[in-house]
Amino acid sequence: MPDTSHNPVPSGHPFCRRGRSTEGLIKAFFGGNAALTIVILVLIILFLLREGVGFFPEYRTELQNFRKSGLEFVDIARKDLTAHEQMGSLLNRAYFAQVNSNCREEMQRLEEATAIVNYLGEATAPAHDALVQVTDAESNSPPTPELLQKLSAQYRKRLADALSGRLGKGFPPTPHLSRTEQQLLCDQIAARDPLSTDDPAFANELQASLAAKRELSAAPLIAFRDAIDAFQSSSSALDVLVSETSDTVKATKEAAVLHGIQVRKRQTLLDAARTAKPDLRSQLEADIAAAVTTEPVDFTAAMAPVLARIPQFKEANAAMSAGLTEVSEKLPLSLSDEKADRYLKAFRAATPAMAAETADTVGLLEGWRADVPVGIGMTISGFISGRDWITGGEWQDIYGILPLFIGSLMISIIALAIAIPFGVGAAIYTNQLAGPRQQRFVKPTIEFLQAIPSVVLGFVGIAVLGTLLQEVSTLDSLSWIPGFPIQQRLNMFTAGCLLGLMAIPTIFTLSEDAINNVPAAFAEASDALGASKLQTIFRVIVPAAISGILAAVLLGLGRVIGETMVVLLVAGNRIQIPDFTDGIGTVFQPAHTLTGIIAQELGEVPFGSVHYRALFVVGILLFVIVLAINWTAQRLLRRFRISQH
Amino acid sequence: MKNPEQLIRRGVHRKGIAEGIVKTFLGGMTWAVIAVALMIFGRMIWDGAPVFFKKEAPFVNMDFLTKKTETLHVFDDAEGIRHQLPASEFHQWKSSHGTDAVFNEQTFSYCGGGIAGPIVGTVLLTLLSVMMALFFGVSAAIYLSEYAKQGRFIGWVRLAILNLAGVPSIVFGLFGFAVFVLAAPILTDTPADRSLLAIPLGFTHLSFEGWGSSLIAGAATLACMILPVIITASEESLKAVPQGFREASLALGATRWQTIRKSVLPFAMPGILTSSVLSLARAAGETAPIMFTAAVAAKDDLPWEGVGSPLGVLTGQVQALPYHIYTLALKIPTSEYTERAQFGSVFVFLLMIFLFSAASVVLRNRVRAKMKW
Repeated sequence: MPDTSHNPVPSGHPFCRRGRSTEGLIKAFFGGNAALTIVILVLIILFLLREGVGFFPEYRTELQNFRKSGLEFVDIARKDLTAHEQMGSLLNRAYFAQVNSNCREEMQRLEEATAIVNYLGEATAPAHDALVQVTDAESNSPPTPELLQKLSAQYRKRLADALSGRLGKGFPPTPHLSRTEQQLLCDQIAARDPLSTDDPAFANELQASLAAKRELSAAPLIAFRDAIDAFQSSSSALDVLVSETSDTVKATKEAAVLHGIQVRKRQTLLDAARTAKPDLRSQLEADIAAAVTTEPVDFTAAMAPVLARIPQFKEANAAMSAGLTEVSEKLPLSLSDEKADRYLKAFRAATPAMAAETADTVGLLEGWRADVPVGIGMTISGFISGRDWITGGEWQDIYGILPLFIGSLMISIIALAIAIPFGVGAAIYTNQLAGPRQQRFVKPTIEFLQAIPSVVLGFVGIAVLGTLLQEVSTLDSLSWIPGFPIQQRLNMFTAGCLLGLMAIPTIFTLSEDAINNVPAAFAEASDALGASKLQTIFRVIVPAAISGILAAVLLGLGRVIGETMVVLLVAGNRIQIPDFTDGIGTVFQPAHTLTGIIAQELGEVPFGSVHYRALFVVGILLFVIVLAINWTAQRLLRRFRISQH
Repeated sequence: MKNPEQLIRRGVHRKGIAEGIVKTFLGGMTWAVIAVALMIFGRMIWDGAPVFFKKEAPFVNMDFLTKKTETLHVFDDAEGIRHQLPASEFHQWKSSHGTDAVFNEQTFSYCGGGIAGPIVGTVLLTLLSVMMALFFGVSAAIYLSEYAKQGRFIGWVRLAILNLAGVPSIVFGLFGFAVFVLAAPILTDTPADRSLLAIPLGFTHLSFEGWGSSLIAGAATLACMILPVIITASEESLKAVPQGFREASLALGATRWQTIRKSVLPFAMPGILTSSVLSLARAAGETAPIMFTAAVAAKDDLPWEGVGSPLGVLTGQVQALPYHIYTLALKIPTSEYTERAQFGSVFVFLLMIFLFSAASVVLRNRVRAKMKW
């Protein structure tokens, strides 16, 4: 209670009371609005948790079914099969890289010829299709001669236009074909019947010469080829076994799921019957009686035929191991082509791991028990360190966050690798080196970059940058860069570039602030000691501002990790851990991200399903990561401010 | 003599070169960033402006701005002339010329007609969200700057503001979906099964079953997102009003609320409005929060068409420009026929954002020039 003894108005007086109460109400109203921010934050956390927490128990039940019905058993063997396939494809890539390394010239010539054929084909396609449509035997009325004439005149006109390079993007460039060859090809196409789509003779010639060259360069590699083939066929026994057993266990699982649904339905009906009116009850009771039509699945009996095949699994496994040892002995020591050699080395490096994995498979299969329960700890660790995110399949939905996390991380690293030098460099330049006129232009312009909506940047990536990068990467003079030419138009690098551009304004503005806040006395003292301008900047001012710059970088990182639209549109959306055997070229592979997966899948999942909850768990993870980053940045900033005073 | 230092210090010349190199290098990086930004803008304007402007009066392609989105049909007639018609005109053409006269038909979803629906949707979403955020945000800022004393509550509020500002937009999308779309309270006679809590009120029920994907849910989500920005900016404008104004008012016997209303708010208002225009640009530009809460790719009616009551506008889904661009970019492959819709939409969108941002800059400068204490 406030002390009212000095108040000229008596405490019980209505004037005083009214005044205090309205003021109090107004204050409470404003205070309530301020509390709204807390309410929203708490609601965010609460609802993320509410939807997310249910994920782990439900996912655990699913995993339990996965184990009981024997899907897990088959998956043990299947994992070997996948690894084997990947190893085989590694060898194949090495083989073809080696073969093709000798035929680069022929391949380019064929590519260019095909480009010309495609260009002319596309240019004349409308008239060609129209001709096909009217001459189609099933069409109800035969075409009139005038129409035919009109259409073929059109065809010839478009062809002439195309040959002079006036249509579309113009005649494709052909640096590896001579003028006469190009002319020959064009003449052959021009002479072709409008209705035919056969390749011109010259293109076939090129094809033949490429095939011959390939054969020639493959000749010394025959032993290698045979070894690869033998290796690939060594898994056929296991392949058959796996596909047969998976049919059995899939049927078990489907029966179990169906039974589960019926039991749940019965439970719902029972609940309803308890509260229903008497006249409805009899109807409900009839429904309850008819609800469960299937027997509960006897998992042990269902698994028996699969488990009985363990000896066969053993044999198949032994065959595969033998195949691996055999191929390791027969492989050439090294290959002359650099790329082929890298694939070969990758194969060799992976061999021991593969051998070990194959070796312990038998033990795993024999030690597998359907009745061991799946622990909640295992479910959580499986989610965090799982290497697969598989959804919507008929086998089993697996939620493992690692590929998404690695995608987000790689893209952020690329973005920061671009944004830090440019952002901090621009901040140092603008604050310390540029004249006032430049400052007045540079600062608002870079800040204005922040206003570009992310979806527009994503559109730029998809419509302009991706294609541009891919075209640049096919230039012969740039083929020394690892990863060039780029296979996928949309990849982590493209996304990283755009996100870097987004992070530059954040990093620039905050770093510039930090540098600006360094007391003038620092620079003056440095100058007075005879330091040059550069020494002052890099030995005094930047170190003094370093924690502010670090905070700027962290806030930039927070912005990059939380960004959705750019990565959704540009990163390529392939859910897979990138293949790091490509070295630096790995950055040109597509990836999926934490933010992207939520945006892409939330719209399609049924409300309340395990998949829906998994997406909320991803949201929680994202929330925690970004919060931690921002919190660290704020602490850095605070320390920086304290050191100022 | 311009620089006596050069005569005194030895080795100045070499250091001068080093400084020149570093300066050129850093300057080159700075201008490279600006050049890239200008190139992006240039490309968007180069491809988008021809869609937006036209040669004769009124110089703006009104069809593109006022027509609804339709499917685009591209086909040849027997003469080999290529036609591009939106669905409605295409059906007319077909009925007057006959089905046999159409060759090589291709269709492109969402690429015909104009973008009236997305523009209207974005404007509604933005205005509604900024109105909500302004009301709550300014009130919160008044509390923070005028009433609050340092204490635990204020510490919590500041922490919440700081954290809220950092939450990724997609998490706001998840939040809006879980709260406004699936759990917000509505009045209904028949509560849905998945309702969190249904309270009978006698004549009807108050059921926590959400507003569904709707204009109001999207606007509320966006409002939560821009709330921290508005609070921070409003508080700054309020703090910029000199303390003397308040003291003079209080000394004349005014209550605190009278002081705020008559001597603080009027002087802080221009600053608050300026910052709100900037947050308008942010709200208009975000896609992730409205993806699941409000936006829809295709809708035949404008928001106010075919609804019974004014409330129906709020509970219907809307098209939105950023979502439209996302759909066009992701689902429709780029070709010469889709570029009109794609680059045109991007151009209009950038123009909107640019106008908002430019308006806020101009406003800020005018306010600064006017308010000198």
